[in-house]
Amino acid sequence: MRIWLPPVLLTALLCALSAGMPVLEPLFQWVQPDKQNVIYERESFLFLLQNHLMLVVISALVGTVAAVAGGIFATRPSGRDFLPLVSQIASIGQTFPPVAVLALAVPVLGFGEAPILVALILYGLLPILRNTLAGLEGVDATVRQAALGMGMSSFQVLLQVELPLAGRVILAGIRTSVTINIATAAIGSTIGARTLGDPVIAGLVNGNTAYVLQGAILIGLLALTVDSLFEAAERVWDRRFLPQTAG
Amino acid sequence: MSIFSSVSPNSMPNRVLPVLGLLALALVWLLELGVIQPNRIVPGTGHGLWSAVGGAGAGLVSLILAGCVVLSLLPVRRRYLPLLALVGLSLALLPLLLEVFAGRHLPEDAPYARSSIGAGFWCLLFLLSLMLIEILGRLGSGRGLQLLILAVISGSWLWFLRSDGLESLSLVREFNARPDKFEQAFWTHMALAFGAVGISACLAFLLALKMIRSVVWRRPILGAVSFLQTIPSLAVFGLLIAPLSALAAAFPALQAIGIRGIGWAPALLALVAYSLLPMVRNTFVALTEVPESLADAGRGMGMNERQLFFKLKLPLALPVMVEGVRITTIQAIGLTAVAALIGAGGFGSFIFQGLGQAAMDLVLLGALPTIALALLADALLTMLAAILKPTPATA
Repeated sequence: MRIWLPPVLLTALLCALSAGMPVLEPLFQWVQPDKQNVIYERESFLFLLQNHLMLVVISALVGTVAAVAGGIFATRPSGRDFLPLVSQIASIGQTFPPVAVLALAVPVLGFGEAPILVALILYGLLPILRNTLAGLEGVDATVRQAALGMGMSSFQVLLQVELPLAGRVILAGIRTSVTINIATAAIGSTIGARTLGDPVIAGLVNGNTAYVLQGAILIGLLALTVDSLFEAAERVWDRRFLPQTAG
Repeated sequence: MSIFSSVSPNSMPNRVLPVLGLLALALVWLLELGVIQPNRIVPGTGHGLWSAVGGAGAGLVSLILAGCVVLSLLPVRRRYLPLLALVGLSLALLPLLLEVFAGRHLPEDAPYARSSIGAGFWCLLFLLSLMLIEILGRLGSGRGLQLLILAVISGSWLWFLRSDGLESLSLVREFNARPDKFEQAFWTHMALAFGAVGISACLAFLLALKMIRSVVWRRPILGAVSFLQTIPSLAVFGLLIAPLSALAAAFPALQAIGIRGIGWAPALLALVAYSLLPMVRNTFVALTEVPESLADAGRGMGMNERQLFFKLKLPLALPVMVEGVRITTIQAIGLTAVAALIGAGGFGSFIFQGLGQAAMDLVLLGALPTIALALLADALLTMLAAILKPTPATA
């Protein structure tokens, strides 16, 4: 259970800090002595945290389903024609800076939560897609042949052999995608999404460093918490499926 | 090779191009090709393909796309070269559609009226680019041809954008309103991104050497740089404001050279911090993965450790290190855009200004050059890595 200790501690700290930011008022008063209001109050931090997380989770779920489905399609016999193009899209797409993708979504979809969600999904599925392709292509052909030889249907081979073997690489792709999306969602404040980026932007606009700090600390903490969750999940995965390398 | 992989020689019908071509055909008819706005802010009226470029133009576009679909289905061996010419030429001449559109629909007596690009045009551009990538892949073309095609297409676009016919295009209008600022933003963006890459390359080289010399330092250094990479960019920029303003307040000399809580100083610091992970990782991997047998061979030839490093290990490691530089550069170009939020300038300032004023064309004026810079850096550095890779004869 020691594996889960860091994420649990970080989650507790994140929730405590989101709920109890006003307690730290004297500290922020010291940072920003010339402002009356040093605690961001336009929205509660808990609400912003919840909204930020929701955007990231939805985009990760949709992105994972779409990317894994796309990866499976491109590695089947029927879709193999598309494999070179799909893997090119996955690598060229990641060259596009996330901010630019976010900015391009606004003229098409307007301000608010919709464009940011679309941008997060589109941008987030690229690392997952690349890793899905790498994972499925990395499955040893002899293993697949052995499974087929045991009488498995190709659907069973996919579900019981290929996906479990590729899973670790796919999980790493999801981790990359979520890390990027937490950062991009924070910038999403500039296009009207309510996320933990709000206090930072408001602080930058009003010259209130205390707001900036509160937002920045919570965003950083959120990223670390989620990353530590993935770290723990990867370790559990390794321990379960790769007993020879665990420890 | 996988047992599933079906061998598909170039004479087999291609299924990817027809899908892309038909999709392009459908979208270009369904979506708006262009929009005419009475002025900068008021939403405009959209025009579909037929209305935008007239019957002849719409027919020509449809004919070209249908031609690509038919050509790609023919079981002819050498069909990829004509396809390449067709798709490449279409991409190069795509701005012509906008020019015809502006010529037909822009009211003569309204000086503030402007034309802007519609979703249909973007889809056409995107799908034609995908077709080009697919064709180049099937042809197995060399880097020279790819570079030539890229140069022809971007040259043609630049020529069209500077010509009088597209003067009414909102993107061009936004540029013409601030050519000096655009140039300044370009140089600021370049200086910040490449400055950060340069500094972090030097730092990463030293850190990687330290990691190679003493095993104890490996975990702490890698842990620290990947920790830095995990923190979202907005948070890093925000967290640097307070300490840097305190520093500037304490030492007026620093303030004199522009080091303040906002501006280029925190931006550069954050960019360097972000650049360290890919740089350190790739440099370390590159230098440690030189096969020991080669080092032995070098020693056998009488090289000392210094010669071994500079004449053998470094040249062999260079391609992987350049790959690290590539990842870092792309990332730095994107993050520099975010740094505009803390007043660092660059193309990001157009993006955030445009978002603030709800002026979408200003957003585009910031976002498109950022993307173009990233794509260009990617292409050039990929090529450099390929050139530096030692061929078996010289390795």
